[in-house]
Formats: sequence, structure tokens, C-alpha cells
Amino acid sequence: MKKIGLIITLFGVLWSCSEDTYVPVEPQDLVFETPANFPGLKYDLSANPLTDMGFELGKKLFYEGKLSSSGIISCGFCHEQSSGFTHHGHTISHGENGLEGFRNTQPIQNLAYFDEFTWDGAAIHLDLQPIIPITAEVEMNETMPSVLEKLRNSSEYPELFNRAFGTPEINSERLLKALSQFMVMMVSSNSKYDKVVRQEENTEFTALEAEGYRVFNNKCASCHTGDLFSDQSYRNNGIPYNRKHPEEEGRKRVSGYVSDFYKFKVPSLRNIEKTFPYMHDGRFGSLQAVLDFYSDGMVENGGEVDASLIKEDGTLGIDLSSQDKEAIIAFLLTLTDYEFLEDERFSEY
Amino acid sequence: MKTTKFACIIMLAISILSCSSDDVNNDNITGTGVLTVEFDNAYNDSDLLLETSVYSAVDTEKIWISDVKYIVSNIRLEDEDGEVYTVPKNESYFIVNESDENSLFIDLSDVPAGNYKKITFGLGVDQEKYLEGATGQGDFLSKAEEAGMMWSWQAGYKFFVYEGLYTSATTTTETAFAFHMGSHGTALDNYKEITLDMPTTARVRTDISPVVHIVSDLSQVLDGSTQFKLDDAPQIHVDAVKSPQIASNVSGMFMVHHVHN
Repeated sequence: MKKIGLIITLFGVLWSCSEDTYVPVEPQDLVFETPANFPGLKYDLSANPLTDMGFELGKKLFYEGKLSSSGIISCGFCHEQSSGFTHHGHTISHGENGLEGFRNTQPIQNLAYFDEFTWDGAAIHLDLQPIIPITAEVEMNETMPSVLEKLRNSSEYPELFNRAFGTPEINSERLLKALSQFMVMMVSSNSKYDKVVRQEENTEFTALEAEGYRVFNNKCASCHTGDLFSDQSYRNNGIPYNRKHPEEEGRKRVSGYVSDFYKFKVPSLRNIEKTFPYMHDGRFGSLQAVLDFYSDGMVENGGEVDASLIKEDGTLGIDLSSQDKEAIIAFLLTLTDYEFLEDERFSEY
Repeated sequence: MKTTKFACIIMLAISILSCSSDDVNNDNITGTGVLTVEFDNAYNDSDLLLETSVYSAVDTEKIWISDVKYIVSNIRLEDEDGEVYTVPKNESYFIVNESDENSLFIDLSDVPAGNYKKITFGLGVDQEKYLEGATGQGDFLSKAEEAGMMWSWQAGYKFFVYEGLYTSATTTTETAFAFHMGSHGTALDNYKEITLDMPTTARVRTDISPVVHIVSDLSQVLDGSTQFKLDDAPQIHVDAVKSPQIASNVSGMFMVHHVHN
């Protein structure tokens, strides 16, 4: 008798489950607010309206190993939240089959304010960017059709796509849109710096930070411009040629122009304290090493070093005293946004 | 001979007659039909055969071709009165792949009935389409990837893929060649549009489905407005000078050979 009761209950549960599958769940719009000190949005939200279900699907996909050939390497494998969504401590990252690429993982933050992506601009729309890591042999080593097939055959994804997009159909457009919804929401705008410039909570720079901000504005901000700390241009900063990675050509790989050799996108400096190591190949382990490079380490590297880094006497570099460097580092640490780094909305668990 | 001439005259007369009767009925043409665009890959005057024939290229170079693939897009048809029918953009991206027979025939449905005399199409993917993000790509992304028309290191399409082996007077062992051409991010747009006149009109009716037979002469790729010697560069992928030249050569290789009505 007990058994029958159990079976009936079980039936009831199964029944309601299968019914659930076909009950349309109305996704709720997510509010996206541009911080007061930020420039205008580059991402077209009207083509991909943000919803809670779309965001949740994107988050699940971001941490989904099925996007890789082995089923293990997710986006989050190389983009760890506590490191500003970079690969903690890795100069370059290792992907499928132990293969290594030749570039340092870039942070994921404020991407909705950028219109070109990766170190060389190999993606010209945020939606299309994930194709690169998914299909690159040295990263996730998969194909889009195979990823879609795995998701279609899973027990949970058809329902999650149904919730996000109204039908259970799983296609590349929806996959990429969901990932974009997650990434668009990843905005880092609540560092100490932000609170100072927005005059919130009576936050003020220390004397050293304020001095660093002043020096930064004089010597760094022509490239690390504005509140994104990047003018989104590609520049050759005179970094010594890296013989370990002869395939590296910088922006030339994308543009084909010889003049773009060893040019890289000016990176944002937000959360820079947490995104070490630095530069396109992760060669510098500390901010001190980066600033020492800018004052004394620049060389001709086979490309055209940016004019802004050539001094009047023709030598390369930026004049920075050790006091300047100490102050700049103090200022850069104010760009750490703990609210973002600990925001549970973006956390894997 | 005489009979041939006679037959020709009769044929001509019939075609003129049928043309003129069309003109009379022009106002009455309604509805839509299907127009098929056929891409017939050739090498000079011969049919192109993959992995079989050896073809002459520039100077002493001989090539053996394993892959011919290209993206055809944004098809437009112009009729006798200059009216243009544009295939809806999101249905107007196709991959022509010599190893896939079906891909050589592009069926355009819902074409307004009319007498078309010009066809325009894009070779590759326009920047506008890229900038539509995931919305713009739809399923074409997966199709392109399955056909090997996506780069894995760049989020972009290969517009044209041409691969095989070659030899020359100086390169006596068979050596691989590969030309992959596409746009270079936002730095260089290699998308090109091609307009071709038709020798006779394609008369689309609800009950007539014409085939526009386009011959693509692949010999033009190496020996077109720019000459490429494979000994100089057997692999060309992203090159700011050569990629646009390849794009020009490719866009010059098409002609409408004939139209079946």
C-alpha cells in the first residue's frame, strides 16, 4: 500500500515536471544602467534585450565545460572572477590537449563599452567574440555545430533556452546572445576611484593616490583614456620582441598591414591589481615591473613604436621617477572594484 | 548548312515573336516564382575537376586543386525596366562549395514574376552583416563553420578558399598552396559586389523557373588582373596588399554563360 502511495506521488511529481516543461515562463527585463562617469554604450541592447532568464542562461554557458572538446574547459576556466576574470598567475593559458596559445588572458569587464575585442581586434562584435576561444585549437578546440548538438542533447538546456527565448530551439544566434547578455552585465564601476570621481560616500584619495592620479593623467592617460582607461586604439609600446612566440605579430595578424606589427589594443586598467601578469604575453609579474619597462625597458621590436612614446631626443620611454612610480601604483590600486570581484551574480557557485 | 541557317532564322523569329508577345503581356505578369542561380566552376575553357586534373597557371606553374569554396551574398536582380528585386538580406548568404553538388545551385523563391536582365551578388560578407552581431549571422555561422569557412583565430568568415598542390620549373616536388581571403576585422574590407549582364532575360513566372548559369573561371584567381606566382607565396591568408588583389581577381572570374527559361 505504501508502495502504491509512493508510486502515485512519484507520478504526480513526474506529471507536474512534464507539465512544467510546457508552461511558458515570462522572462523579466533586466535594467542596465550606465554609470554616471562612463561613456556611451557600444553594444546595441535593442538587438538583444537583457532578461533575467537570458542572463542566467549566459552565466550557465559561461561556466559550461560542454563548450570545449574535452567537456572540461569552460570560459570560466581561464576567466576567473577573483582575478578580474583573468587566468590567475598565468603568463599565457593552456587549453585543450595541454596546448598553449601565445597571449595572456584578458579581463572580462565593461565590454559593452568596447566595439572591438581581443589583443588585436580579431572580433568586431561582442556577440562574435566567443567563437574564437570556442573554436581555437589551443583554447576550447570545439566547433559551434558540435557545441550546439551537445546542448540539444542535454537534459536541461532545451528548457533553459525555452525560458530565455520562448522556444526550446538551440542555435548559434541564441547561444551567442545569451553569452553576450551575461558579459554585458559584467560592469566594473564601483572602485574607490569611481566613488571619488562620482563624489560618493565622502570617498577621497590619499595624498599618494592623488599624486599618482596627477602623474597618471600627465604621462599615461593619453592612451589609457577616460573612465574605461583605454582609448581602444592599437599601439606598439616598444615591448621587446618575444622569441618564444614567433607567431605573434600583434594587430598585423588581423589587418595584414606590416605597419601593425606588434601593435596591441590599449588594455583597460580596471582591476589591474588582480589581473597580473601583464602585457600581451604576460611577461611582467608586477606593476613595478611594468612601470620600470615604461621608464627604461622600451626598445625597437621590429615594428613602429608609437610616436607618443618617443622622447624629443629620439630615445624611447616615459620619464618616471621612482616616486612617480610609487604614486602611480597607489593610484592604480584604487581601480580595484571589490563589489565586482565578489559579485555573486557573476560567480560560478 | 542551309537547313541550319534556316532553322536559325526560324528560331530567331520565334524568339523575337515570343519577346514581343511578352512585351504586350508585361502588365499582366503577376505572382512570384523561383529563380535558380547555378555556379559552374571552370578552369579556362574546361570544367573544373577537383583532385583529378592538373591545370596550367602562371609561367611554368601547374596546379592540382583540392578545394574551391566561396561565399555568395546579397543577391539582387534587375529587370528590363530597371526595377530591382533584392533577396531578403537574412536569406541571402550562401556557400558555394565545389565538393558539394547541392551548393552549386542556389534556389531563390518568391522572386516577383518579371524579365530579369542583370544579376548582382556579393563575394563574401559585408561589414554591415558583421556588425549585426549574433542577430545578423543566424544559422549562417554554423553553416560556414561546417564548410570550413570560418577562421578560428578571428571571429570572421573566409570569403574565398582555394587550395591544392603545385609544381613549377623550380619547385619540382608537389607543394601545398592555399589562398584564404576575407575581411581583416575593421582594418580592411575585402567584400566585393559583382554585377553581370545576362545574354538573354531570365523570365520568372509562377510556372517558369529559370536557371541563371554562371561560369566561374578559377584560372582568373592566379592569372587575373594581378598575376600570382605560387613560387613567390604559396600561402596567402591575411595580407593587406595581396588579399585585396585576390578579391579583385575572384570578382573578375564570373560571367553568365546562358539562361535557361
